[in-house]
Amino acid sequence: MDKLKEALREDAAAIDATVSTELDNRIRASLEGIQPERPEQAPRPRRGISMWWASSLTGIAAAAAVIVAINLSLNEAPEVTPTNTVAGAENVPPVMPDLTARAAVLAGPLEEELEALESDLRKAEQAVRKEMGLDL
Amino acid sequence: MSDELEQINAAKAGSVEAFTGLVGRYREGLFRFLLTRCASHADAEDALQDTLINAYRYLHSYDSRWRFSTWLYRIAIRNAAKLASPYVTELGELEAEESDPLSAVIQESERENLWLAARRLMNEEVYSAMWLRYVEDMSINDVAAVLERSTSWTKVNLMRGRKALDAELNGKSVKESQAYGQA
Repeated sequence: MDKLKEALREDAAAIDATVSTELDNRIRASLEGIQPERPEQAPRPRRGISMWWASSLTGIAAAAAVIVAINLSLNEAPEVTPTNTVAGAENVPPVMPDLTARAAVLAGPLEEELEALESDLRKAEQAVRKEMGLDL
Repeated sequence: MSDELEQINAAKAGSVEAFTGLVGRYREGLFRFLLTRCASHADAEDALQDTLINAYRYLHSYDSRWRFSTWLYRIAIRNAAKLASPYVTELGELEAEESDPLSAVIQESERENLWLAARRLMNEEVYSAMWLRYVEDMSINDVAAVLERSTSWTKVNLMRGRKALDAELNGKSVKESQAYGQA
C-alpha cells in the first residue's frame, strides 16, 4: 500500500463514527413502520444501442424465417430429398436468443458508458450555467 | 447463493431483521462518510436514517450486478446533497476549523487530517470519488457508478485528487489543485 493511501485510511479511521443507541433505535423504529415497495411493472426496455441490436436481430430472424419457409416449400418437390434441411431449419429459431443475449452482453457496457458520458456533459453544462449565473 | 443475497431477498420480503443484518456491515463506514459530507452531526444522522429507509423501501430496484455498497452509497450521496452543506458546496469556503463539525469528531494528530484538507482542495464529487476509492476500496467502475460519471472522468479526477493530497502530505503547494474536479 502506498504512503498516501495508508494516510488516507488512517485519517478516515480517526473520524469517530459511532452510531449512538438512540439513533440505532430511531432507525429501527422507522424501518418497522414501513414496508418495502413491490415493483409495479416490469422494467422498461432499454433504448439506444440495444434497440438497434434488437431491430437488427428481428430483421435477421425474419430473413431466417423466410429462408426456412422457402426450404420447406422446396422440400415438397419430389426431386429435393434431404430431410436434413428441414431438421436444420427447425434448429434455426433456438439460435436467435443466444445471439440476442450475446448482443446484449456486448452492447451493455458501451451503453452504460455512453449514459455516463452524457451525465458528464449534463453536469459540465450545469457547472458552466452556475458559473455564468444563468441558473434560476 | 451468498449470505448477502439471501439477506437481500429476505429484506425484500419485509424482514427488518435481515435488512439490519445486511446494512450492519456498512453502517459505520456510511456514517463516517456522511459526517464528512454534512454540515452537522445531526444532519449526518438524518442522512444516515434517510439512506437506510430509502434503501429498505426501494430494495426491489437494487441491481445485483453491482455491489450492494455501491448502491447504498449512491443513495447516501443523494441524501447528503439534499441536506446541502455550506462546507462542501463551495470550494475553499471552509470557515474557521473550530466551527467545522468534522473537526469535533476527528482524533487529534500532529498533522492536519487529510480529509479536512481534501474538503478544502476539492469539490464534493472529487472528494467523494477519493473517499470511495481509498477508504471504501471500490473499483473505478463502482466509483463511476456511484457518482453517475464516466470511468474516464473518474480516473482523471482521482489522479488529480491524489496529486493534490500528495502535495499536501509532503508539504508542497499545488496551484492547479484550486481547479480540481471541475467538469
